[in-house]
Amino acid sequence: MKFKTIFTALAVAGCLGATMPASAQDKPASLGLGIFTFTSGPAAAYGMPGKNAADLMIDQINAAGGIGGVKIAPTYVDEAQGAQGVITEYRRLAADPKNQVMLAALSSANCLALAPIAEQLEVPTVGWNCDTHQLLQDGKSKYVFRPNGNTVPEFVAYAVYLLAKKPDVKTVAIINPDYAFGHDAAKIFKAALHALKPDIQVVAELFPKLGSPNYQTEISRLTTARPDVVFSNLWGADLENFVRQAQPRGLFTSSQVILALGETVLQRVPLPDGVIVGVLGDGWWMSPDAEANPETKKFAEAYKARFGEYPVFPSIKMANTILYVKAAYESAMKKNGGKWPSRAEIAEAMKGSAVTTLTGKMQTRPDGDGVVDQIVGVTVKSPTQSFPVIGDMVRYKGDALMPKEGQDPIAWISTLKPEFAASLPKPGSYK
Amino acid sequence: MNAIIPLVLDTLSSAALIFFAAVGLTLVFNVLRVLNVAHGSFYSIGAYVAASICAFIVSRHLNPYLSFVALLFSAALVAVVLGPLIESTLIRWTYGKSEAVQILITFGLFLILEDLQRMVFGVQSFYEDTPMRLMGSSSIGGVVYLNYQMFLVAMAVIVVFGLRLLIKHSRLGRLVTAVVADREMAQSIGVDTNKIFILAFSLGVFLAALGGALAVPTSGVAPGLGADTMVLAFAVAAIGGLGQIEGAALAALIVALARVLAIYFVPSLDAVAPYAAMLIVLLVRPYGLFGAITTRRI
Repeated sequence: MKFKTIFTALAVAGCLGATMPASAQDKPASLGLGIFTFTSGPAAAYGMPGKNAADLMIDQINAAGGIGGVKIAPTYVDEAQGAQGVITEYRRLAADPKNQVMLAALSSANCLALAPIAEQLEVPTVGWNCDTHQLLQDGKSKYVFRPNGNTVPEFVAYAVYLLAKKPDVKTVAIINPDYAFGHDAAKIFKAALHALKPDIQVVAELFPKLGSPNYQTEISRLTTARPDVVFSNLWGADLENFVRQAQPRGLFTSSQVILALGETVLQRVPLPDGVIVGVLGDGWWMSPDAEANPETKKFAEAYKARFGEYPVFPSIKMANTILYVKAAYESAMKKNGGKWPSRAEIAEAMKGSAVTTLTGKMQTRPDGDGVVDQIVGVTVKSPTQSFPVIGDMVRYKGDALMPKEGQDPIAWISTLKPEFAASLPKPGSYK
Repeated sequence: MNAIIPLVLDTLSSAALIFFAAVGLTLVFNVLRVLNVAHGSFYSIGAYVAASICAFIVSRHLNPYLSFVALLFSAALVAVVLGPLIESTLIRWTYGKSEAVQILITFGLFLILEDLQRMVFGVQSFYEDTPMRLMGSSSIGGVVYLNYQMFLVAMAVIVVFGLRLLIKHSRLGRLVTAVVADREMAQSIGVDTNKIFILAFSLGVFLAALGGALAVPTSGVAPGLGADTMVLAFAVAAIGGLGQIEGAALAALIVALARVLAIYFVPSLDAVAPYAAMLIVLLVRPYGLFGAITTRRI
C-alpha cells in the first residue's frame, strides 16, 4: 500500500514536472535549444552553413563555461520535411521544459506557421533567418523575435544601391522563387524602384518553383527581354543552379545582375566581376567591422578549419542569433538576481535589446523585429582569396531603410523620394 | 522570326529532358504492365552516379572528354546492377496483381531508394558540368544557347529511333512484341518471358538513369529530384498513352511547349502548364494521344 502511494506521488510529480512551463528556477543540467534549419534537399546548401555555425558557436560558448554556467544542448529539426512536420517537431520540443528557446526558422513560410504556436505555448522563438515582413506586422507578438531584420530594408537597400551605381537604368527583369520570400522581395524591390525612379519598367517577372533544377527556359526568356538589370533572390541550390546555367549563356554580360543572396555562392561558383551582391543584413565575415573584431576573425578561421570553407552570411546570421539568445539569458539573470530565468523572463529580456554581434549590432524593436545594417556591394577579384569578394561596398543604417513600427511597409516605400536615396551613403563609402 | 526561334529551341531542349524522364516508364508499362512509381529514383540514382564518376575524372585530371563516356557508362552501370536485382526480387511478384498493389509496392521501393540515396550520397547538391563546358555555346537568334542543350535534343532523337529500331526490327524486339501481345502464348512457344521481363525492365532503368545522367551537366542533382521527375514522367506517359514510345516523345514536346509558352507569356502558370496540357488531352482522348482501349481477359 505504502509503495503504491509513493509510486503514485512520484508519477504525479513526474507528470507535473514534464508539463508545467518553466518558471524562475534552479539552473538546469543543460539548456535545450530547438534549432530549425534545412539539413537536406536543395535548401540545405543554405541551411547547412547555418547548422555548422550553430555547432561551432555552441561549442565555443560551452567551452567557455556555457550560459550562466549551463551548457547548451541543441536539437536540430530539418525544415525540409514541410510545415506540418516542422509544427509537430516544434510542439514536441516545446513540451519539454528543458527546451526553453527555439531558433525557428530559416524559411519564411515556416516562421509564419510557427509564430501563432509560439504565442500560444509562450515559448521564446527567434527567427534566425526568415525575412518576410509579414511575420511581425501586427505588432502583437510577445514571444516571437526576428533580430536579423526583414525583407523591407533588405530589398530597399538593393534598389538604392542599384540607382546609385547605375542611375540611367530603364528596364528590370525579376526571377525569384515562387513563395512568400520571392514574391515579397519582388513587391518591395519594384515599389522602391518606382518610388525612387518612376520611369523604370519591369519587363519580365518570373517565379520558378522553389527547388527547380533547370532554368534554361527562364534564362532564354530573360535574355530575350533584354533588360538593363536582372534581379534575383533565388537561394540555396536554386541560386547555384541558376548561376551555373546563366553564366555560360551570357546573362551576366548582357545585363547587370543583382543576386540578393549572392554572397552564399561566392566560394562555390566563380561569379564574374561586377555582380551586385549582398548579405541581407550586415553578416559578412570580411566586412571592415568584422575584420576589426578579433572574435569574428577567430570564428571565421575556426569555421574554415572545421568545415573547409569560410562562413557565408547564413552562418553569421545563426552565430549572431545565438549570441543574441546568450545576451538575453545574461540580461534576464542580471535582472532576477542570478536565478535561472523562465521563458517569460527570457522573452522580456529580448524585447528592445541591443546586442553586439560578430558583425555589428542587433537592435530589437518593441514589436520584436530587428534593426540591422545592410551591406551591399559588387563582386571583385580578391588579392588574398581564391574566390571573388565584395567590393565597392556601402553600409546602410538599418533604421534608415525601415518604416516605423505599425506602418504599412509598401505604403512607406511609396513615400520615398529620390532625395531620400541621395541622402544615404554612396557605393564605395564602406571601407 | 527572331521571336519564334527561342520558343522552338527552348521547347526542343526542354522536351528532350522531359522525354528521357518518361520514356523508360512507358516502356516498362508496355512490356510488364507495371506502373513503376520508383521510376524517378532510377533517374536520380543515374544522376548521382554520373556526377560522382565525372567528379572522379576531373579530380584525377583524366581526359575531360571521358566525362561523356561516363554519362553513358553510369546509366549502364545503374541498369546492370539494379535492373535484374529489382525485377527478379520485387517487380516479378507484382505481375498479375491489381494496379493498386503494384503502385503500393513500387511506391515502397521508391521510398527505400530515396533513403538509400541520402545514405550513400548525402543531402547536399552535386554539380559536375564538365561536359557542358567542353561543348561551349552558340548564339542563335540573338540568344546564347548551350551546345549541350542541342546535344540533348540529338540524344533524344537517337533514343526514339533506336528504340523503334529495337522493337520493330530486331529479334529481341519481336520477342518483346510477342510477350506484350500474349504472354501465355509466347511462353507456350518457348519464349523465356522471365528473361524478356528482366531485359525490358533493365532497359527502362537504363533510360531513366540516362535521363538523370544527361541532366547533371546543366542541372546538378539534389535530394528530391526523383519525386519531381516521377510526377512529370507520369504526366507525359498519360498524355502520350501509357506504353507508347512515340507517344512519349510527342507528349514531351506538348508538355515542354506548354511550359515554355507559360514562361514567356503567362509566368504565373508555369508550374501548372504541363498538368493543364495533360488535363486537356485526357478530356479529349482518355487513353492518351497514342493509347487505345484495351480488352482485358477475365
